[in-house]
Amino acid sequence: MIRVAAAGDLHVAPDSAPALGEQLAAVGDKADVLLIAGDLTKSGRVEEATALAGELRGLSLPVVAVLGNHDHHGDRPNEIAEVLRDVGVWVLEGDTVRIDTPGGSVGVAGVKGFGGGFAGASGAEFGEPEMKAFIRHTKERSEALEAALHGLDADVRIALMHYAPVRETLQGEPLEIFPFLGSYLLAEAVDRAGADLVIHGHAHRGSEHGVTPGGVNVRNVAQTVIRRAYSVYGFEQPGSGRGTATIGAATDGRGIAPTRPPADR
Amino acid sequence: MSTDETQYVAAHVQEALARDQRVNEPELAVTVVKGRVVVSGHVPSEERREAVTQVVRECCPDLEVENRTSVARFPEADGMETVQ
Repeated sequence: MIRVAAAGDLHVAPDSAPALGEQLAAVGDKADVLLIAGDLTKSGRVEEATALAGELRGLSLPVVAVLGNHDHHGDRPNEIAEVLRDVGVWVLEGDTVRIDTPGGSVGVAGVKGFGGGFAGASGAEFGEPEMKAFIRHTKERSEALEAALHGLDADVRIALMHYAPVRETLQGEPLEIFPFLGSYLLAEAVDRAGADLVIHGHAHRGSEHGVTPGGVNVRNVAQTVIRRAYSVYGFEQPGSGRGTATIGAATDGRGIAPTRPPADR
Repeated sequence: MSTDETQYVAAHVQEALARDQRVNEPELAVTVVKGRVVVSGHVPSEERREAVTQVVRECCPDLEVENRTSVARFPEADGMETVQ
């Protein structure tokens, strides 16, 4: 059995970091890897990332994360990522990591993703430069996700993102803001490349369970949705016995520094 | 202020709660009902909950504030979902 813990939308700042540390204290006993689906910080300030890093540093399991829109608010996403990498967190953006566990290998492809809406009610790369840039960014992130997934070899393959790939996990949110919460392009990328599970956050009032049109399970793990510190998902897979952890090549130069192996985990 | 115009107030408060670095929570729900600004949702700390009230008061000094936000205290996972 491979056990994957997942949580999103932590919104950590120095005022809330100790409480998060208490919530995560036993996660290493309950799972083989912890995935964090973006919005790690309150407003993308380095001091917030430092507070979070202090709580993640002592965990006894690998931690894999993507950044969310809150982590970009301070315009310092690279520094946020570096602070977390310095304590051994894999921060993905268009790249992958594979981690061997006693039950088999877990591969994670991660991107932030972006908005644009869903089939039948989505934006197009048309009109003003701002609108074209909006949709183009979603396309670029979705293409990066697809490329990363294509290169991912593991017993269990997971797509980790902040924005939602399907509308089912947005149920509970106002319909008017769906285009700001996710995009069908992310689901299409997953269905083209294949995955065993999609993990996302961002939709605080959404629903936990969904599925892509191609049949891949989707889980919204925003803490306000799952109403727990994290959810645990189990996979019945044979162990592959390959290595300990490997990092996939970064697939783009979007601004986040390429992932490198954590110093000591 | 007419009922129609209160929607502008609600929108401006939501913007302030997103942008003010004491809060930075764009996901909070804001409505204006009978002269009261009502804010609901979860925040991660008591400090941020208090800041919600401060920001709304600064935004709308002539309106009452009803801060219905709660400080999220999430328990650890109590089970596991097997994914097929």
